[in-house]
Amino acid sequence: MNADNEKMKSGCFYLRSSAFICGVTFLLAGCSSAVSQGHNTALSGVDLVQMTDDMAMKIAGDPQVQAAIAAKGALKVVVLPVENQMRAEVLPQGQAEAFVGRVRTLLARHAPQDFTWIMNRDTFYRLRGKELEGVEPGPSPDAISPDYSLTAVFTSLADEDAKHRSSFYICRYELADLKDRTVLWTESYEVKKIAVKGMLD
Amino acid sequence: MIRRCASLVLIVCLALSGAGGGCASQKNQQQVDMAVMDYYSGNYADAQHKLTPLAEKTNEDFVINNLRLGSVLLPPYELDEAEAAFLRAWEVINSTGVNAGGRTLGAVLVDEKIKVWKGEPFERAMASFYLGLIYYIRQDYGNARGAFENALFKLRDVDPDKAKDQGRDVESDFALASLMLAKSFQRLGREDLAKANFQYVIEHHPQLAALADYDWNEKSNLLLVVDYGYGPRKVTDFDGAIVGFGPTPFEEGPLPQPMVTIDGRPMDISNIARPPIDLLAMAQERKWQSIDTIRTVKSAVGTGLIWGGAITGIDAANNKSGNRQRDNLIVAGALIGTGLLLKATSQADIRQWEMLPRTTYVIPLKVDPGSHDVTVEFPSHRQVWRNLAVPARGEATYYMRMQRWNSGPFDWPPPAVQHQTGEMASN
Repeated sequence: MNADNEKMKSGCFYLRSSAFICGVTFLLAGCSSAVSQGHNTALSGVDLVQMTDDMAMKIAGDPQVQAAIAAKGALKVVVLPVENQMRAEVLPQGQAEAFVGRVRTLLARHAPQDFTWIMNRDTFYRLRGKELEGVEPGPSPDAISPDYSLTAVFTSLADEDAKHRSSFYICRYELADLKDRTVLWTESYEVKKIAVKGMLD
Repeated sequence: MIRRCASLVLIVCLALSGAGGGCASQKNQQQVDMAVMDYYSGNYADAQHKLTPLAEKTNEDFVINNLRLGSVLLPPYELDEAEAAFLRAWEVINSTGVNAGGRTLGAVLVDEKIKVWKGEPFERAMASFYLGLIYYIRQDYGNARGAFENALFKLRDVDPDKAKDQGRDVESDFALASLMLAKSFQRLGREDLAKANFQYVIEHHPQLAALADYDWNEKSNLLLVVDYGYGPRKVTDFDGAIVGFGPTPFEEGPLPQPMVTIDGRPMDISNIARPPIDLLAMAQERKWQSIDTIRTVKSAVGTGLIWGGAITGIDAANNKSGNRQRDNLIVAGALIGTGLLLKATSQADIRQWEMLPRTTYVIPLKVDPGSHDVTVEFPSHRQVWRNLAVPARGEATYYMRMQRWNSGPFDWPPPAVQHQTGEMASN
């Protein structure tokens, strides 16, 4: 009988110890890094991929774009960074270039014969600054004049209160003829994001 | 026996890792304290050197250390790095659920410092303001506008006199961001929105009418943004639980008016060099605070339990005997122990962004294009800049952090800008 009691006590001790250790371990493991847990309403890498995949596909498949290519040959296009018109959001230079740069990369990869990509002036001068590092920027932008520009304007409606933050984005892409300023192609990507605030937000 | 030993070893390991973490945290705090002292004495390079490794750690101090780093990078015009630091902090500040899971539990049960610091509302607003200022200096008015708008998001206003007041969302009256937002719209060519925002400032802050004048700002080709004084400090009461902000504007005295001299000639800025904000005053307003009540409740309950335990103990000692007395003394001990535990874990989180100024003066000026020597003077502070470049068109913006022990003269361009312009010139 005494032996049974001892065994039971010993079992309880191990159980309690294990629960304590598990609890503390769980608590410590729960303290994840400051950048791995949160959720915000800004445009993310997922949006970048979805949006640019969608836009590249639509440009390449657009009948008017195809007609222009058939009439003029490969379109000479300059890519400009995204214009930020979003409410209460910033779009740093790198991101502003990435959102149009990926469209160019996709088109250059999948329809190389349809488009000739001309480096924009800012990128050219930035690269020229690195000539000493062995980067060859190519001919001056003044020597080549593009016929079209690929631009994007991001706008958003955003609001924040004590309980949530929400943003509704409209990201509009345009392929415009630089000579007569007509828009050859335009499309938009729309997404709504809501982040609900928790106890310590 | 082996299992018992294994459990013991695990517990010891956990205790040691906890103690190790504590030592690391203390060392980090020493680094921060030294960096803050460097900042106060105008030694920005050393402050940057100390803060950079801390800002890389994605722990509970990630946001605050990046804000501190951003602050020390601004005066020497290390704008790229300052932008990166403020952006890192901004991203987490604007995120929700950062403290989900273990951190919330830890902050409630153990120590509030476990939570990822996101700052009080006035600190978050200033973080957005500085990010916007960087873009404004670079004449990237689209992004400046976005950041200033973010600084103006709604606040939770709670009436402290109404115990059950659930609060309501109110428009921010952060005049500094409204003013800069109006200026950003003006530079973007959005006359309608610029006028609306200038008007908003004038209506809510009549003393800033001259500063928010549309025409005056349109003509301005030199903008001085001057940080003066130091912001509010979190203060605790005798048992380290309840937090407030100090000093009050009354204790600190009124904000002085700056004098600006250009090429030795004093400028008449008496009606425009007015402080758009006073962070000491803002910190006293409930809507600019997010001090939660967890630790206050824990502290109050802890005090109650200690008193309850003490009374039970005294009663048991005087009026009870035998088993009854023993039981009551055990209850008293348990109450006091629990109360002490609650008090011990209700210590206030006093982390704060020490570099914040008391106010930021925004001084738009119209001067002849070219290079100018500019002096900004307060009764006890002075800063001199030589060869500030002023354009014929557009507006050049210069940020100055008034420091008692580092008044210059500083030469424009500073090394960081020289490096950048050198790169551009080689193009």
